[in-house]
Amino acid sequence: MKNRKYYIQNAIGLSMIAALFVSQGCKKSFLDATPGKTTTVTQFWKTSADATSAINAMYADMHGYNDTAFPSIALESMGSDDVTKGSVPTDASYMNEYHTFSVTAGEGQLEGFWLGMYNNINFANQILDNIPAISMDASLKARYLAEAQFVRAYDYFRLVNAFGDVPLRIHVPKSASDYNLARTPKTQVYAQIETDLTAAASVLPATYSSADIGHVTKGAALALHAKVALYQKKWSDAVTYTNAVTALGIYSLFPDYEKMFRTTNKNNVESIFEIQCMLIPNNPAASNSQYSQVQMPRGTEPATGWGFNDPSPSLIAEFEAGDPRLRGTVIYTGQATPEGDVIDASAPNPYYNLKSYVPFSLYVSGFNQGCQQDKIVIRYAEVLLINAEANNESGNSAAALADIELIRARAREGSTTILPKVTTTDQAGLRTAIYHERRVELGMEFDRHADVIRTGRGASVFGSLGFVAGKSEVWPIPQTEIDLGAGTLVQNPGY
Amino acid sequence: MKRIFTISGFILLCFFFVNSAFAQNITVKGKITDATTGETLVGVTVAIQGTDNGTQTDANGAFTLSVPPKATLLISYVGYTSQHVAVSNAGPILIKLAASANELQQVVVIGYGTQRKVDNTGSVATVKGADLAKQSSTDPLSALEGKVAGVEIINSGQPGASPTINIRGVGTIYGNVKPLFVVDGVWYDDISFLNNNDIESLTILKDASSTAIYGIRAASGVVLITTKRGKTGKPVISLNSYFGWQSVTNQVKMANATEYATAINELTALSNTPADYNPPVFANPSSYGTGTNWYNQILRNAPVTNNEISLRGGTDKYTYDYSFGYINQDGIVKTNDYEKYTFHLANDFKVTKNLKLGISANILSSNSRDVNGQIFHQLYTAAPVVPVYYANGKYGDPADYNVGSGANYNPQATIDFFNQHSKNKRFTGSVYGEYNILPDLKFRTSFGGDLAQAEVRNYSPVYFATGGQQSNISSLSLNHTETRNWIWENTLTYDKTIGKHKITGLLGYSSQRNEGSYGEAFADSVAYAKSGNLRTSYPTGTNVTYTYPTASQLLTTEVSQFARVNYSYDDRYLLNASIRHDGASEFYPHPYGWFPSVGAGWVVTNESFMKGQHIFDNLKLRASYGIVGNAVVPINPTTLTVTNDPSSYTAIFGNPQTTNAGASINTVVPPTITWEKAEATDFGIEGSILNNKLSFEADYYNRLTKNAIFNIPIPGSTGENGPNGGILGNQADIRNRGFEFSLTWKQQVNSDVSYSISPNLGINNNEVTKVLSGNNPIYSGGAGIANGALATRTVQGQPIGEFYGYKVIGIFQTAEQVAKSPQAASAKPGDFIYQDTNGDGQISTTDRVNLGNPNAKYGYGVNMFLKVKNFDFTVDLQGRADVSVFNSNLGYRFGNENITQDFYDNRWHGAGTSNTYPSMNIGSTLNSAPNSFYVSSGAYFRVRNAQLGYTLPSAITRRWNIQSIRFFANAQNAINVFGYKGFSPEIGGSVLNQGIDSNVYPLYATYNFGVNVTF
Repeated sequence: MKNRKYYIQNAIGLSMIAALFVSQGCKKSFLDATPGKTTTVTQFWKTSADATSAINAMYADMHGYNDTAFPSIALESMGSDDVTKGSVPTDASYMNEYHTFSVTAGEGQLEGFWLGMYNNINFANQILDNIPAISMDASLKARYLAEAQFVRAYDYFRLVNAFGDVPLRIHVPKSASDYNLARTPKTQVYAQIETDLTAAASVLPATYSSADIGHVTKGAALALHAKVALYQKKWSDAVTYTNAVTALGIYSLFPDYEKMFRTTNKNNVESIFEIQCMLIPNNPAASNSQYSQVQMPRGTEPATGWGFNDPSPSLIAEFEAGDPRLRGTVIYTGQATPEGDVIDASAPNPYYNLKSYVPFSLYVSGFNQGCQQDKIVIRYAEVLLINAEANNESGNSAAALADIELIRARAREGSTTILPKVTTTDQAGLRTAIYHERRVELGMEFDRHADVIRTGRGASVFGSLGFVAGKSEVWPIPQTEIDLGAGTLVQNPGY
Repeated sequence: MKRIFTISGFILLCFFFVNSAFAQNITVKGKITDATTGETLVGVTVAIQGTDNGTQTDANGAFTLSVPPKATLLISYVGYTSQHVAVSNAGPILIKLAASANELQQVVVIGYGTQRKVDNTGSVATVKGADLAKQSSTDPLSALEGKVAGVEIINSGQPGASPTINIRGVGTIYGNVKPLFVVDGVWYDDISFLNNNDIESLTILKDASSTAIYGIRAASGVVLITTKRGKTGKPVISLNSYFGWQSVTNQVKMANATEYATAINELTALSNTPADYNPPVFANPSSYGTGTNWYNQILRNAPVTNNEISLRGGTDKYTYDYSFGYINQDGIVKTNDYEKYTFHLANDFKVTKNLKLGISANILSSNSRDVNGQIFHQLYTAAPVVPVYYANGKYGDPADYNVGSGANYNPQATIDFFNQHSKNKRFTGSVYGEYNILPDLKFRTSFGGDLAQAEVRNYSPVYFATGGQQSNISSLSLNHTETRNWIWENTLTYDKTIGKHKITGLLGYSSQRNEGSYGEAFADSVAYAKSGNLRTSYPTGTNVTYTYPTASQLLTTEVSQFARVNYSYDDRYLLNASIRHDGASEFYPHPYGWFPSVGAGWVVTNESFMKGQHIFDNLKLRASYGIVGNAVVPINPTTLTVTNDPSSYTAIFGNPQTTNAGASINTVVPPTITWEKAEATDFGIEGSILNNKLSFEADYYNRLTKNAIFNIPIPGSTGENGPNGGILGNQADIRNRGFEFSLTWKQQVNSDVSYSISPNLGINNNEVTKVLSGNNPIYSGGAGIANGALATRTVQGQPIGEFYGYKVIGIFQTAEQVAKSPQAASAKPGDFIYQDTNGDGQISTTDRVNLGNPNAKYGYGVNMFLKVKNFDFTVDLQGRADVSVFNSNLGYRFGNENITQDFYDNRWHGAGTSNTYPSMNIGSTLNSAPNSFYVSSGAYFRVRNAQLGYTLPSAITRRWNIQSIRFFANAQNAINVFGYKGFSPEIGGSVLNQGIDSNVYPLYATYNFGVNVTF
């Protein structure tokens, strides 16, 4: 009797346990646990909407800090006679290391710029590697691919100007062997840039519907290609591409030089490509452009900027007497801006950049000062200047003079007493005039540093700042990348 | 989960049907003390032999029990030899329990059971809950500091942060390197929800043969916690209460206003090249006097109070334990406070002779007014020339002093306008059933869960304090985290003694599911709502932005089977073996791994040839080997996920401009990840001599972590910028080898005086034996370093995360000296001279060398106890030695941040002024590059805890019907000795960044006065 009771108990107990082991043990799917809200890559790259999302992510990445703020200022503007460091001397004094060409490889803006460019390139490569397989509208697909090619070319162009030879990555890395690329010679990087721009220009539309303004256009691809050709001294190509931009018939010089840079005139007739920025209500994190904030005047509450990257006395002296463009380029401390904001006389710097300025009334606390400001990458005046220079170098001074006159005519704002017409047909004299025109027209637009170096004038123009020929044409490769590359990346000479 | 509540309700109901019937019995009173020390023993089990009835001793070691005539009492207590005592009617019984006779008879808690210490072949350390409760820390973990050899507790000092715990060195790297905590059978990542007073015992499993039964999660050790449960006997009410205050200690002194102005003028002169304009300078530094001491302004002596009341008791059918705790702790930063309510419940219910059911639950509710995370850094950097308030009552504004953006804040305004409240609610617990299928075969099933909700509510009003601190719109943001975990475990235990053979077998099955979610809401221009959820906190019609970041969603599942056999022959030869088969969703579709272990022991003193010797009271040799795993890796690490965070991926197009949601991939395809496993060996010796006055335990261990999973940064040209900041993979093999020594000396000098001293020492050597990524060094440590420069290098043959950089050999005194040096292109007088270690005539990155090891070699503690009559005195000492720290705060500068007094006094400010400290230009790229100036010894010694207690004579308290009253005064962290010039050398940080001090949290001591009352 007792035995039977035990048997029964055993049977119940053991079968209960066995049931547990079996029922759970067999549920293999129990271990296939993917969190509900996560989108895995296998669910992505399926639809036209996915392609659009990827395009959006790529553009969104272009107005980040690394692309438009300190790293960009350090590598693309600070190393020139057009600017001073700005702010109070003790703030971010490492910026002066770029201004005096004494920077060493450990300085953080180098790595920031490197990451900014390559993050962006990754988003372009994601599109170029993955969108082709998506089943979607063929013309939209072609356009998306062309947009990515433009963005990739633009980033590589910035990288080549900053560092010379750089790792050329045109596909998303697939495995560990792809992570650590050596530097590709600059000429090959340029070849890839040109391939991308040629492809982009052949596909991109000249204009967009109002909802899509801000996407890159055919004109943008042609204009950037012209600049790339100019940097390689491919004069006839530069002429061809600039003429092609003009032939689109949609660009002209904006009549008011100063107003061209205000937020009320975004994407105007002169603007060929600009980085779109906006104050996004309820989303300060996405309203993240600090392009304006870091350059806005100091000491004016509440819209106090950081006051970096200020116009230099040398740049101011470059303007011809009475040139209205000076007052469209420089903010004077203690005086009112054209929009009526008075800059506090106690501000530590005498001048600030007007081209990145946003009127104080637009300031909203909780958001970066001036986060509404777009950054113009290339505009029609530069296309004319490229055309002028390439024509002059090709011996066509007449065409060059015509371009220069268009630019000076707009600058005169109707006055007959200022900015006399340039008439010299002497190639060297005209070259000097074009360089001058370029410096004042594009002043504080992050052009001067690369422009002087590409024309071989680095030592003569920046020598007093500390420029060393054979070294200072490029910045050092970031030390972090050299460390992480474990010997794959060789440092630039002199660093 | 609903079911848990139902069951708990049922058990609660049962409690109210108390039925006590001891009518014909006699009442026995007694007192139980330690035979050696005379210390009264609290919580000793007094059972009536042959029944399930019994009680336990109270705070005075006394018990009262109703027993049948001619009964025999069985007295048993963890760590002591059990005694049988026949009951006579001759008044109170005085029982002296001996830890002595055989220390190895102690019972220790092990995974899924208990074991006599004599049978254990692993390295297991037990800390009694009473020892933890003596400390005033509000987190049970930090109370462990210095208690156990080889266990390193690191308190970063950050308010509200749980301490880091390393058992036997850093053996695993990714994310959470904490051990597994098992509270009453339920697995947790942290135990901050527990009240120290609710812990019965805490057991640390250190070697792999002890931890391997937890396979998958055992890589960093396992901590088993048993919470208090009721004991048979009449209801006992205890009240434990203290109040005190926390006070900043070892404060780093900052430069005063005059010194600051002087130093900043120097920095301005050094920075203003090329000279562009007349920079602002402080015309007359001494006119600023001493200025504002921001630390004195913002920090305070903060009161803390901790109260706990409990009710415990039971009958032979069931036992109960209820306790309620309340902690109110103000932060050392004004406006910061924290409130924690805890409720603990444990019920055991004997349904039939063979069936037992039970429940335990812990409920936590906490609220805090938070402190702005920026405040400590602000206090460290704020300009002393700026007044707190102007004469007109307005805030002192740094902008009025042109001090730039580096210290552009008034810390008073920071705390005044920071309005953030956090709320945590957590319900944890388990229910179990135990069924004796056969007398030797027991089945146990337990189901446990963890339900937690955390909410952070931040409101920014419209305000204007200073130019940099103001808002012209209001905003309300809420984030909400939820955790829902369950674990179901089933075991069969077979226990049989046949002659000299004793065998215990365990067979188990376990499954668990852990799920977490996170959501955030944000809207501006709304009124403050004190309560409500993510939706109802906002008025209808408000434009609220909701985000549910993908990276924070969590879901993991695990299924495991395990088995263990413990065998001993004649209490002389011991053999333990276990195996666990784990399946973890993290590694799906290859989720399974095996984790075996084996241990053997020899109790030398039980051999016949040892019978005649009088040296050793007992002596045991043991050895063990096991393999454990680490599943704390990101969810589906090999799955590439899509990034769509609207804060980063919102594109803008159109006229008018509109937002366009983006999504793409910004991480590289992760490699296939295999299990990270640690193979560990342990050799130990334990025993006691001199009539058990001196007991000792020594261990040698060698743990090799293979295929350690962690992130390493990869080249930026990949475009990789994912949330993990690098690539996750099996990166390295890491070895921790070392020794642990523990001694305990206990002596009863006479009937009034007894004392004990227990020193312990852990010696650990950490070495990376293999770097799997092609033998390349792993560079890291960029967090918190100026310029993000990489300050650590992990390379084969060296410790993990070693500091790496230039070696400073002096300071440039003159321009001529600079011009002649290899640093001519970039240096100025006052800058560091770096050593040309490779002798190539240049200073380049190839001159960098190892600068120090952040892994402590020595960790030690000394725990002392003295009792003289009714006074008791406890002192715990603790420290670390042979360890380096990196002070990144010195070189991390944007501009005009303040400096320490030490730096001011020693800085270079002209030829001949210093050859060790640089000029004020310490933040330049050259000077802030990781170098030997920033590395110093992190050794410290501290009086961790000191407590003096006085127990009122029981003759007095008995008159009030109170069992005992004890008053005490306690000081924690009152004395700290170290040479480090930062705030505290106790620095946490993720493994590859460990020892880098980017914290500026002041150390504080806590002083308490309290009372323990037992009714």
